Amino acid sequence: LSIPPEFALSFLSDLMQEALNSAANLSELLRGKGLRLGVTGLSRAGKTVFITALARQLTQLAGPGEKNPLPVFRVAAEDRLIGGRLEPQPDDHVARFSYEDHVAALTGPDRHWPQSTRQISELRLRVDFMRRDGFRSGPSHFTIDIVDYPGEWLLDLPLLQKSYAEWSHETFFASAAAARAPFASNWRGFAASLDPAGPEDEALARRAAETFTGYLRAARGDVYALSTLPPGRFLMPGDLEGSPALTFAPLRLPEGFEAANGSLAAMMERRYESYKALVVRPFFRDHFARLDRQIVLVDALAALNSGPDALRDLQNALNEVLAAFRVGRGGMLATLFRPKIDKILVAATKADHLHHQSHDRLEAILRQLTDRAISRSEFSGAEVDVIALAAVRATREAAVRHGRETLDAIVGVPLAGEKLDGQFFDGKTEAAIFPGQLPTDPRQVFRGDGLAIAEGDADVRFLRFRPPLVGRHEPLPHIRLDRACQFLFGDRLT
Amino acid sequence: MSDPRLDPRRFRPRAFRLDDQPSAAPDFVVEEKPDAYQIEAELLLDPAEQAVEKAQKQGFLGGGVFSWSGLLLSALGGLVSFAFTLWLSNLIDSLFARSAALGVIGLGLAALALLAALVLAGREIKSIFRQRQIALLHRELALAHESDDSDLSRKKVRELCALYKHDPFAAAAREKLKALRDEIIDGRDLIDIAERQLMPRLDDAARKEIADAAKRVSVVAAISPRAIVDVIFVAAQALRLIRRIAEIYGGRPGLLGAWRLARAVGAHLAITAGMAVGDSLLQQVLGHGIAAKISARLGEGVLNGLLTARIGLSAMAVCRPMPFFARKPPGIAEVAPFLIGGDKNKGS
Repeated sequence: LSIPPEFALSFLSDLMQEALNSAANLSELLRGKGLRLGVTGLSRAGKTVFITALARQLTQLAGPGEKNPLPVFRVAAEDRLIGGRLEPQPDDHVARFSYEDHVAALTGPDRHWPQSTRQISELRLRVDFMRRDGFRSGPSHFTIDIVDYPGEWLLDLPLLQKSYAEWSHETFFASAAAARAPFASNWRGFAASLDPAGPEDEALARRAAETFTGYLRAARGDVYALSTLPPGRFLMPGDLEGSPALTFAPLRLPEGFEAANGSLAAMMERRYESYKALVVRPFFRDHFARLDRQIVLVDALAALNSGPDALRDLQNALNEVLAAFRVGRGGMLATLFRPKIDKILVAATKADHLHHQSHDRLEAILRQLTDRAISRSEFSGAEVDVIALAAVRATREAAVRHGRETLDAIVGVPLAGEKLDGQFFDGKTEAAIFPGQLPTDPRQVFRGDGLAIAEGDADVRFLRFRPPLVGRHEPLPHIRLDRACQFLFGDRLT
Repeated sequence: MSDPRLDPRRFRPRAFRLDDQPSAAPDFVVEEKPDAYQIEAELLLDPAEQAVEKAQKQGFLGGGVFSWSGLLLSALGGLVSFAFTLWLSNLIDSLFARSAALGVIGLGLAALALLAALVLAGREIKSIFRQRQIALLHRELALAHESDDSDLSRKKVRELCALYKHDPFAAAAREKLKALRDEIIDGRDLIDIAERQLMPRLDDAARKEIADAAKRVSVVAAISPRAIVDVIFVAAQALRLIRRIAEIYGGRPGLLGAWRLARAVGAHLAITAGMAVGDSLLQQVLGHGIAAKISARLGEGVLNGLLTARIGLSAMAVCRPMPFFARKPPGIAEVAPFLIGGDKNKGS
């Protein structure tokens, strides 16, 4: 295969972009007042809620005499935080993060979690604070750039390193697992009837893409909660729906198969390559190649609900995705030409869905989930921390005495449709939930087979709750959001 | 795993509805718990610890390298040493002009003086570094305790043990902590254990030192014939007390070190003046008031004693290589009960 001109062009535009990045880095380095925070998380990990909560905590500060909601965040604890506001973002071609809508969703009369993100959006937060000491003491400001995007798209990053044949092989191999068989059979049946060496056919390609998408969607559902499901645009196409770049599917290719010109396999391969070049690479280049700090949000609870297979799948997905980022301690030259992420916070979100005494165990499980990424980052000199986090805390804690036993429970309003222990919830009733106990040994939850474990057999079951009832101007309750702030940018606000 | 509550099989996930349906009386009781995160946050905002941190900024952990007063002092110091060297070389030149033997003796004496000055300066620097290391250890142990970071805690507890490696009385505690370091234990708990193992003996020694100084000061102030005498005595005693406490906690303040330490203690005193560490200000004022009623001299003595005790407590907070976590910080009532408890023990 010769290199088609559009790939050569994309290579040139990559080079161009790198140069522009360096220029932007230089200007930022000289001003020294900005930070690009990468909020990384698969879909439903809580990116949008995290960004909204962060922006609200930093823009609506406690007045004098009021309780400081961010005690661990040094700059707030030392009363050096003057104020925060949203500023016009740097990129005009990207939608603005609809902060006001999300806040309204969380705190409005019909309080609910924001809808899942469908497109890229951007936010710039400006924080005014007092410098504490050193040469430049006195008032100063600092900007934080954050990008929100559909988590599904993140799954595409590992594809950049894979050829069509490799990807096809991996996808077929994964779908052959017993746990995936029920919802993969439709697509696998259709794919078996396709001949890779046969002539290219648009109708067949579309049908293959449709059944493949159906399989991905089924696997992602709440019941199974699987994660390794690239390509992400199949699940959340954005504005590319129906375009040829999205009309392909893996084919069962024999070992050492060479696709002849005009064959079905050649067509699929070309589309896969254009998907990488036209969709994945620009997304990565524009939004992830220039990060200073990263927070990785992981919804471990959904996977724990589903079972060991879902957890292993999540582990696989996270490690592959995180391998795409540049991490390490960078000197000044590196900051200019190859910026690296020097601090990574891995956070288990929705920590309010279990009692605080289980948080250590949840953190241990999270460590296990991201072990490869953590050791790689630590090896290259980046600082890594693991916490259990709830950007918006929807529950409070209580002890339930029932018969002779006392259970550490959480109290909140479960979402409509949640069920546990023979109780169905309508989204209005408050309930005390004992979600079960996580094992002391984190490896235990990865052992064995099981996907979509029925409620009666599960050792743990985490319900989802409605957002907390807070007034329009009250601070949102949270768990360790201040610790996350301190870790991610506390060192730049001294 | 001896606790049956940790067995995952014993407890299945449960839900208890909390709506007030009159249909069935619930067979469970829900007890609201105080918010654990709130309690944790309050621990972090301990004003006593913040005071120590601010005081250390004045002492050994000063933030900026540059300050105008520092520049002035360095520049003046440079000029003075130039003048001194000039004078010395002139002196030796003129000695050589008189006779070679005198010149050689002069040169030898200058070399000896230089050697002694270098050794003294080296000691001074070493002692400052040691005091600074203690201040850093204090800050980092506080940080490790705050974030419950087990790696940092292990490292810092090891440093804490190393600080007392020449202390024969701490040998058993050191061994115990060494054994504990490899076990699975929370960072915060490890620090608490280290405090209970290493600190009590030192705290007691410091307390005794403060009590003795307070006693001496109050007696001398009560019987001194001239005000200037007790001013000098109180100042000397305060300085001596600060140095003694620093030594008890493993520091070795030299001349400059003592100056910096005194600054830190002064800052801590100023910050905590309104906070009345450990007991109520009222008590102290009352104690003073009653004593003053009996005799003005006696009142004077009590006041000076109280002041000395406060200086001692501040010195204790600043010199201690770790904050008070597991142990309660002593107050005036613990170190000098004779000053506020009705003057029972005041033997004079």
